[in-house]
Amino acid sequence: MRKMWIVIKREYAQVVKKKSFLIGIILTPLFLIAITALPAFLATKKSSSTEHIAIIDLDQQGIGEKFKESLVRYKLDDNETPAYQVTDIHELDPADTTKITELRKTLDSLILDGQLKSYLVIYGGVEQNDSAFQVAKSFSFRTSSRFERRLSNIVSGIRLKKMNIGVSTDSVLNVTRGINLKQQAPGGKERDFMTMYLSGIVFVMIIFMTAIGYGQILMRSVIEEKNSRIIEVLVSSISPFQLMAGKVVGLGLASLTQVAIWFLIGGVIYAFRASLDISADISGVIFNPIFIIYFLLFLVLGYLMYSTLFALIGSIVNSDKEAQNFIFPIIISLMLPLVLAMYIVQEPDSTLAVVLSLIPFFTPTMMILRINFIGVEVFNFSNPIIFEATLGVILTALTTLAVIWITGRIFRIGILMYGKRPTLPELLKWTRY
Amino acid sequence: MQEYLRLDDICKTYDRTAAVDRLTLSVPKGSIYGIIGPNGAGKTTTIRMIMDIIAPDSGTIMIDGEKVTSDFRNRVGYLPEERGLYKKMTLAEVITYLAEIKGCGRAEVAGEIDGWLRKMSLAEYKGGKVEELSKGMQQKLQFITTLIHKPDLIILDELFSGLDPLNIELIKGILLEEKRKGTTILFSTHVMEQAEKLCDYICLINRGQKVLDGRLSDIKAKFGTNSIQVDIDGDGTFARDIPGVDNLTEFNNYIELKLAPGADNQAILKEIASRVLVRRFELMEPSLYDIFIEVTRIDPKELKGD
Repeated sequence: MRKMWIVIKREYAQVVKKKSFLIGIILTPLFLIAITALPAFLATKKSSSTEHIAIIDLDQQGIGEKFKESLVRYKLDDNETPAYQVTDIHELDPADTTKITELRKTLDSLILDGQLKSYLVIYGGVEQNDSAFQVAKSFSFRTSSRFERRLSNIVSGIRLKKMNIGVSTDSVLNVTRGINLKQQAPGGKERDFMTMYLSGIVFVMIIFMTAIGYGQILMRSVIEEKNSRIIEVLVSSISPFQLMAGKVVGLGLASLTQVAIWFLIGGVIYAFRASLDISADISGVIFNPIFIIYFLLFLVLGYLMYSTLFALIGSIVNSDKEAQNFIFPIIISLMLPLVLAMYIVQEPDSTLAVVLSLIPFFTPTMMILRINFIGVEVFNFSNPIIFEATLGVILTALTTLAVIWITGRIFRIGILMYGKRPTLPELLKWTRY
Repeated sequence: MQEYLRLDDICKTYDRTAAVDRLTLSVPKGSIYGIIGPNGAGKTTTIRMIMDIIAPDSGTIMIDGEKVTSDFRNRVGYLPEERGLYKKMTLAEVITYLAEIKGCGRAEVAGEIDGWLRKMSLAEYKGGKVEELSKGMQQKLQFITTLIHKPDLIILDELFSGLDPLNIELIKGILLEEKRKGTTILFSTHVMEQAEKLCDYICLINRGQKVLDGRLSDIKAKFGTNSIQVDIDGDGTFARDIPGVDNLTEFNNYIELKLAPGADNQAILKEIASRVLVRRFELMEPSLYDIFIEVTRIDPKELKGD
């Protein structure tokens, strides 16, 4: 045990001392934020300058003018500067196609010059044929949906007027406006689809990156010891199993250090959230002790299971390049939950989701996604997700033990075999020696 | 003579070829013992079995009268055939790590490092990384890591490979010093000329089997003086045809003649002197190489391949 401790210390120090460890601590959260929060952030970001737009109104009933008025409500960040400025409204006869073509050419060139952001073409009889389109170099989802909403309201008004029932447009819009359906967990905590989805992905990514990242460090370190033949000196001092265990545990502690620092950073950010203007409420996830325990269990089990597999690969190959073929299935089985995340989030209780999340190689990532999305408030086995998660922990732990046993058998022989890569029957034979 | 290490009827077969075949040998305490044979003779396999890195198919290995235990690992220093160290660690870190893993205390090692580095003229690189050292320096560093924990038994596989003549002398000196302290040293090599100068005992092996073993001086005496070296001016190959000459080996500036049993060396000298100018004529002890060839009846070309 003392010798294993020495191996643990070396492996830990070798990783933590490196600059890449520090870079990983800083870059990984940034990367996570970039792939999860950034698109959402950008989508809701207000544009920074007034957009100039033009309107070609072929309906000639004042829709263009009404549209212009309706846009006044949209302001930029300062709440004063208008977000849109309608520069021209061209009311044209739809039959005068030459003029229309000419005008569009002019407006097109203005757009290409950047003097105009976009222009709208509203067809005649728009209230019947629903026809209008927007021309622009690039489209903002938000602007387009605003324009669509405004035009729809205006056209609804026209339709109402034509029906002649004496009800004002405003009152109809008031009557038909939608409601905002919010989500709550049993117990009353507010839940929001996007936050749940994103936070789930973040936790899956942490498990994914820990297993892949540290697994590969472990694999390379085994290959290095094998290639430099220092492995012979090591196994003449310590048993191969102790060596392997020392490496797995040492790197595991390094990865836990990293995750602990992330949690610390997350905690600090959360504590100061008021001054940072973070709208997403993640308290229901982060500060749920049951969730945290499951997360840590799956993080550790996932790491142990996958890093041991990486050690197995390292022990039977001669180079990083040779290892690539073997890594592929590991990465796929860790990636699967990310690929299926959207489906699982929509149907977290479906049979497929339950079955997949109970396959040990998928359990760490899939189960955490499900727990996060379904939400756990009380620890009670009558709650199916608690039962399934606990079953997942047990199955994964048993599989991990099996993986460790098999790897231990193969590792002690593989590390001393150079040259030809062993075949599967040979590997099976090694486990029986 | 007290026996330190004993191998009894050791066998190891890989894919139907016997790497080591019923090998028995006895290494006296405090001796320098050489396992000598051509490449592929089974030297590395034998050493790995002694080191408990691989298990023999049959036979027993005893150290100091006991079966090898994991505790034994701490008392042995092992230099594998192919050398290598952690490239990214500093010299001090590598030495400390490999000593600690042998059960040494950190403080205990710290006191020894400087002396060893000085002895190997590596002191100035102490804080540098292993990868900054030349191949030869890395070899010397690895030699330090083999001895730093003061082992009772030192096992060196292909001791001389990759060492330049200066370093060979340096390391020989250190090994003789260790021997005076009572350490038992076992090494393997296929370079017989070097082994001859260092060993007290040898075991010649070929194709996994022991050919001959015992005290080097006894073996030499047993094989007697049956070869002569002659420095001559001109071509001496004619000497092959002189009666009583079994074999002739040409070297750069002399020839070596192996004589048939009972041949009269003075008659041969006269015969040569009548044909060419003889500058030196010396009755030789048989070299290990000759003994090996004689005992195995191996084609010398097979050995030259090394």
